[in-house]
This record gives sequence, structure tokens and C-alpha cells, in this order.
Amino acid sequence: MGVWNFVGKVYIAFIIALIYLPVAFMIILSFKSGASISFPIERFTLDWYIKPPTGEYAAYLSLFYDRQVFQALQNSVVVSSLVAMISMFLVTTLALTLRRRIAGRDQLFYLFLLGFLTPGVAVGLGLNFLFNLLNLEFSIWSAAFINVIYAVPFGLILMMARFNPDLLLYEQAGSSLRASPLRVFRRITLPLIIYEVISAAILGFLLSWGEVIRTQFALKGIGTLSTFIEVQLGVNPLTPKWYAAGTLLSVASFVGLAIFAYLLSKTTR
Amino acid sequence: MFIEKYGKYLLLLPGLIIIVFFLILPLILIVIVSFMQIFTFREPTLTLQNYIDFVASPQTPTILLNTFGMSIGTALLTLLAGYPAAYVLAFKIESIKIRNYIISLLLVPFFIDWNARTIAWIPILGESGAVNYMLQALNIVREPVQLLFSRWTLLIIWLQTNILFAIFPIYLALIRIDPDLINAARVLKAPPHRVFYNIIFKLSLPGVVVGFTFVFVNTLGDYITPALWAGGIQVLGLSISSFAANFVWPYAATQSTILILIALAVLFVLFKIVDIKKLVE
Repeated sequence: MGVWNFVGKVYIAFIIALIYLPVAFMIILSFKSGASISFPIERFTLDWYIKPPTGEYAAYLSLFYDRQVFQALQNSVVVSSLVAMISMFLVTTLALTLRRRIAGRDQLFYLFLLGFLTPGVAVGLGLNFLFNLLNLEFSIWSAAFINVIYAVPFGLILMMARFNPDLLLYEQAGSSLRASPLRVFRRITLPLIIYEVISAAILGFLLSWGEVIRTQFALKGIGTLSTFIEVQLGVNPLTPKWYAAGTLLSVASFVGLAIFAYLLSKTTR
Repeated sequence: MFIEKYGKYLLLLPGLIIIVFFLILPLILIVIVSFMQIFTFREPTLTLQNYIDFVASPQTPTILLNTFGMSIGTALLTLLAGYPAAYVLAFKIESIKIRNYIISLLLVPFFIDWNARTIAWIPILGESGAVNYMLQALNIVREPVQLLFSRWTLLIIWLQTNILFAIFPIYLALIRIDPDLINAARVLKAPPHRVFYNIIFKLSLPGVVVGFTFVFVNTLGDYITPALWAGGIQVLGLSISSFAANFVWPYAATQSTILILIALAVLFVLFKIVDIKKLVE
């Protein structure tokens, strides 16, 4: 069976290579000199990241000197941070309630799952109708909440799959000793699930960080960095600049994920 | 007392309010608007005309076939490619540490920005991209070959961005299988293909279904990738977004309703056949 083990491992390596191929090309291209994105690459440069402007067309400004990129980045950070905090709070309250065998538990679980199962284009359109009906304006908050309902199911599954089976017993022990529910939560529950709580926040941040369709429907103006790039790709020529922007976005995701993986490995299960 | 009876539901309240406002109400409005003649909430005229138009449109069969054909096709292909990887991960790699490293490695690209993931294919498959450059340098072809902008491009991109979702749930299902079951079958001289099919595959079905759901839902809602890379292939999401952008809201709502209904129907049937909750319990 040695041969098959080897073939299997080669296959895994192949899958990883397939997944990373575009990422590698994106990073290489972002350092390419000149505006075209064709091969071969003659010279590598940092121009697309930090070259001072020389009064050229906006699409050829380097990232660091493109004001719009900064505004979009700022929006991205604000939206994703809001999503992280709101979904952390919601995932924790929901998971702590739904782990008990309460009436309607399955239906409630599927209801929240619907946030992930419904195509983003439909949710976005419906939200447009609702805001039109109520005369509301789209803002950072609407963009955050439309991403929250998408991120919550992921966090919910993650947290519920990893609950310590003895958690309820410990809580009961606390309550029997006359600790108030808030005190039980702060002294017993929270320390035992703290890594899952933080993980839910990071998951919310990351999922909204790269989301385009939902955010596009619920945020007007310049948008987040992802939606901004999406629009720019439609109207401007494709230059290594957008690969540089993609590289920066990806570095942020990568750092977030590294923290996420570290936290998940800290828990015993 | 009221608090004692319903107190445990109290914590659900913030989540319920948000999901009702940002998901349930929008979905209800979509269904209502889908019956409107003209988009207005003041004394609207309700009609079935949009649905009749949709059914009568000569484009409808193509759009539906493209949308669900590509999504289901991608999902099946991704599962086919992902299953062996999950199998190797679960049974052939002993060190849990290495397994976790591999899973983390697989996780990264999904969280990378959507645009970045897709534009990266141009320098690979484009007319002046790396593949064509190599083919020409090796004298295999003289003129650049068109590799981008076809259904196959779409399939490759979707496969690449979604394969993690096939591997991960199957892996979770596989590591839950009691090794004694497999050993017992082997001791009783069951041939390897029957051990695999009757024990391993059947017990991994919840993972397969969850994987299918992930890929199916992800690709169904993604209309930007087909718009950019599939050479003008018409999918329902794309049609919805272009009608919505031109403020033909009732018709966009009709198409959305149909999209949601078919998607949920597919998932409902799947969930009826396979109990996916086995995966988290």
C-alpha cells in the first residue's frame, strides 16, 4: 500500500498547488514594472505600491498615493470591525441558547442558517426594497448588518460544534452556589469559551472583508476596498496596481487567519 | 411566571430582531414586489404577469440550465476532486499536527479577496499569460490559444475557490467513523471496495451533503465570476443584477423569488435524505 500512500500525498500537494497558483501569480504581478500584465516579466519594482504621483491618469497612480483606495480601505476596516463585534455578540448569545434542547431549537437553527443559504443578490435586492419602503438611507451600518447575517451561521456552527460537554454542569454548579446568572457567565462560561468567541469575531471580520455582492447592494458611494476594486476593474484598464491592491488585502486576510488558526489550536477539542 | 417560562428565549431576541429585519422582511418584500406591475408600495397593482413573462421568455430555459447546471456541475466536480483529498487527510496522514497545517493552508485562499482571486487568472490563462508563453516557447503552438472566457474557465475558478468547502466537511465526517467498524469488516474479509462503499462512503454522506450545499450555494449566488470570465454566459444572478441596476425591480424580484425557491427546494430534498446534524452532534 506504500505506493497509494505516496500517490495520495502527491494529490494533496497538487490540490494545494492549484489553490495557491493564482495567489502566487497575483503577488508576482504586483511587483511587475510597466502597465501591461503580460509575460515575460523583465523587471521587478515597487512602483505600483509607492511611486510618487507624476500627474498621470488615476488608474496609474500608485496605491499609496491613491486617495480613493485609502477611503475604500477605511470603509473596509470600519465595516469588517462592526461585523466582527456584532456577530461575536450574536453568535455567543445564540449558541448559548440553542445548545439547550429548547422547543423550536431546530427551526431556529435553520432560520439562522438561511442567512448563509440565501443568495446574496436576493438579500441585497430585498434590502433595497425595505430601505425604499421605510425611506432609509444605506450606510456603513446596513453594509455591516447584511454581512452579519451571512457570517453568523458560520460562527454558530463553529461554536456549537466545539462546546465542552461539561459546560452546562459547571454552570449549574455555579448557580447552585447562588451566583447570579451574569456572574456565572463572567466567571465560568466566558473563560471556557473565550477562544471560540474571539474566533467568531475574526470569522466575521474575514468573511465581510472579501465579500463583494452583499456589500455592493447595501453600501453606496465608494464602497469597501473589495467593491471599489470590483468597480474599478470594470471601467479602468487592468494594471499591476490592482494586483498590488489584491496583495495588500490578502496579506490582511492572511494575518487574520493566522491568529484564527492559533486560537483554535489553543482549545483542547 | 412569564420570565421563568420564556427567560431562556430572551437571549435570542437581538439575533431574531436582526435576522427578521435584514433577511426575513427583505425576502417577504421580494415575493410581494415580484407580483407588482410597477414598483410602488402605494396601492400597488398585483399581477402574475412577471411570472408569465419569465416562463414565456425564450431565454428562460438557457438561463435556468446555465445557472443550475453550472452550479450543480461545479459542486459535483468539486466533491469528486475533494473526496480523495479528504480521504488521504483523514486516513493516510497520521500526524494530527500536519493535518491541521494542511487544513490551515487550504483555508487561506477562500478568505483572500474575491477580486484578487479571479484577476490572478489573467496572467496565467490569458493570451499573453504564462501558459501561452510556455506553449509558444516550447513551440507547441504558434498563435496564442484562447483559454479564458469559457465555461471551463468558470469551472476551474469555481473549483479552485470552493474546493476547501468540499474537503473540510467530508474530512470531519471521515474522522468521526469508528475505526473498529472498518477493522471488523476487514476481519470478516469484506473486499476493499465494499468496505469503502458500505462503511466509509455511507457514513461520510452528511459531510458530502454539507460540502455540496456550500459549493452549490456559493456558486449560485456568484454572478460576478460568470460575468467576467465565462464569456457572456447568462446566469440568473447576473440577470437579476442587471434588471435591478436598470430599476426594473418587479421583474428582478420575480427572478430572485424563482432563484431562492429552486435553491431551497434542492437543499430541502438533500436535507430530507441525509441528516446533516450528525456532523455537529
